Amino acid sequence: MAKKIWKFLSSMRFAIILLLILAAACAGGSFIPQGQSFETYVSTYSERTAALILALRLDDVFHSWWFLLLGLFLCGNLLLCNLLRLKPLVARTRAMGQMPEGEEAGLQAETAQDPAPVFSAMGMRPKERSRNEVRVLYAVRNRAGIWGAWVCHLGILLLILGFGLGQMTHQEYTVYGVPGQRLPVGDTGLSLTIEDFQVALREDDTVEQYTAQVVLENPQGQVQRGTLSVNHPATLFGLRCYQNSTGWAARVRITEDGASLQDQVLCAGEGLRFQDKPELVLFFHAFYPDYVLIPGSGPATQSGKLNNPAYLYSLHYGEQMLGMNVLQNGEAITVDGYEVRFSEPQNYTLIQLKKDRFSWLALVGALVTLAGLVLAFYLQPARLWAEQTSEGWRLFAQSPKGGALFRERFQSAVQNLKEE
Amino acid sequence: MQQLENILFTAVMLLYLAAMLLYFFYVALKREGIAKLAVILQIVGLTLHTASLILRGIAAGRLPLTNQYEFASCFAWGLCLVSLIFQFRFRFPVLGALAAPVVFLIIGYAAMQSREIHALMPALQSSWLGIHVSTAIIAYGSFGVSFVLSLLFLLRGRVRSGSFWDSRIPDSEKLDMISYRSVCLGLLFLTFTIVTGAIWAERAWGSYWSWDPKETWSLVTWLIYAVYLHLRIRRGWRGKSAAILAAVGFICVIFTYIGVNTFLPGIHSYA
Repeated sequence: MAKKIWKFLSSMRFAIILLLILAAACAGGSFIPQGQSFETYVSTYSERTAALILALRLDDVFHSWWFLLLGLFLCGNLLLCNLLRLKPLVARTRAMGQMPEGEEAGLQAETAQDPAPVFSAMGMRPKERSRNEVRVLYAVRNRAGIWGAWVCHLGILLLILGFGLGQMTHQEYTVYGVPGQRLPVGDTGLSLTIEDFQVALREDDTVEQYTAQVVLENPQGQVQRGTLSVNHPATLFGLRCYQNSTGWAARVRITEDGASLQDQVLCAGEGLRFQDKPELVLFFHAFYPDYVLIPGSGPATQSGKLNNPAYLYSLHYGEQMLGMNVLQNGEAITVDGYEVRFSEPQNYTLIQLKKDRFSWLALVGALVTLAGLVLAFYLQPARLWAEQTSEGWRLFAQSPKGGALFRERFQSAVQNLKEE
Repeated sequence: MQQLENILFTAVMLLYLAAMLLYFFYVALKREGIAKLAVILQIVGLTLHTASLILRGIAAGRLPLTNQYEFASCFAWGLCLVSLIFQFRFRFPVLGALAAPVVFLIIGYAAMQSREIHALMPALQSSWLGIHVSTAIIAYGSFGVSFVLSLLFLLRGRVRSGSFWDSRIPDSEKLDMISYRSVCLGLLFLTFTIVTGAIWAERAWGSYWSWDPKETWSLVTWLIYAVYLHLRIRRGWRGKSAAILAAVGFICVIFTYIGVNTFLPGIHSYA
């Protein structure tokens, strides 16, 4: 029984089943919105379907235990397949280099002429040998092609291994802020200072590039500087730093009777709790650089230029929303005796810092896979030999993967020789 | 320059349409001369198509590979090129009779897209763009040819021995082999597309694989063709079953290209 299971796990049939299940799982994972809440699934589907989605982890297909299990089975299958095939492949490669002793299956033909043009038409250079005092011409090509599928499997194995290990061990941090801010990078002890952030706009207001100048400082006080832009990350203290995204930020001032209580930069999407009254929270929802109110649609911006800056905010007291409105630049609202003002709109930058120790392995795997595919598809192993007989020559040709095209080429080469 | 490109594009559409109609006449009237004329029109169309793409590249100041119109146009160009290569390499014009309608459908889809030239967003300003998308064009073109060959394989079974078509359509074994070769070419280039895309994604988005719908469906396509290759090795799966699977693979290709953009927006939404 154990032997049967072992055989099945290393079989091509199992590989095909796994590939099909993986394809179906990937397709399913792309159709079902990932990472949503139960309520969102209920609103999209039904309550029963939503429960099923969560129970089967279809809300996070690509990180679910069963998807990982499929990946593990695939790795196991590839490993077993390669281990089991290693010895036979070595033997086959050796055998290809040696001339067959007796009759072998393959294509055959007879000719009275010198067979050299057939070898040449098949792209082969024969070596003359002697067998049982009979003159034999033997040629073999693309022996490495035998290893194509094996190399390809090895590449995929390394790729999955590199990806999996990278996913399990990678460190990732995001830091966002405006120029001048010094921000901690997670629990690394590093701190990142944003020295400058520029959004280069074209004449038509479209973005040409986002560029941030940053300084990363380690706990020992050593610093490394870098310039980050989209498609041009920098590596600082072993962390890959990416200019990931951007948004609007503004300075928020809270005063009471003219005295400043709080003064800080708030990014759109963030909330600010009043220090003196923690139940009171201000949320900065969105920023409109060139504000316009479109009837029936709501607030919008006419351009990306700071022609008429306005801020969409809401105020909350505990669980209760007190109100939501748009505030012009510098305009104040009063709540509970506090005055709140938004000003100095500017772009903030979101920087992603990442360390993946195994991405090189995934890259090696990908390159090995490509090499394997080239070997498998374009180095088709073939051998051709000719035995001298009393009437002329007997030709033999073999190509395990050549099929009808190899046969046609061989037959055509023989035909051409006969017609010469 | 854009006006000239538009004129050329219209001429290309008409030439591809004419070639397609001539192929249909060839099928109906069974005259070799008509097939030759269709091939000539296809070659002229491909030449003008190349010129129109070059003009667009000059007008945009970049490779014309970044939006639905440009990619569809390049997809049709790649399919036309690969089908002509296979037609000449394996000497059978019937391939053109089935490839021409697919080429015309894709160029027709391109004609329905916006032809406006937009400046590239920061993520697309990379030298990887040319390598990534051009390999995808060859891959998609090759899969298109394998799809056509699979259809031809399925039709081959209905051709009577000794008929006009019997001598003009290669035998089933050869069709299966050529289809296999075009899948091999497609899979190699699709792998190249996925690998170059991953390298580029790491630089642009900070992650070489993020299960974005386009990435995921490229992987689904890759898996389907991997299954095709494995099944062909198994006894009894060559021929009809393999032809059907190759056709399913091409449906995945089309879904990856059009379906994903229409139904599953992600970080590839501009493509």
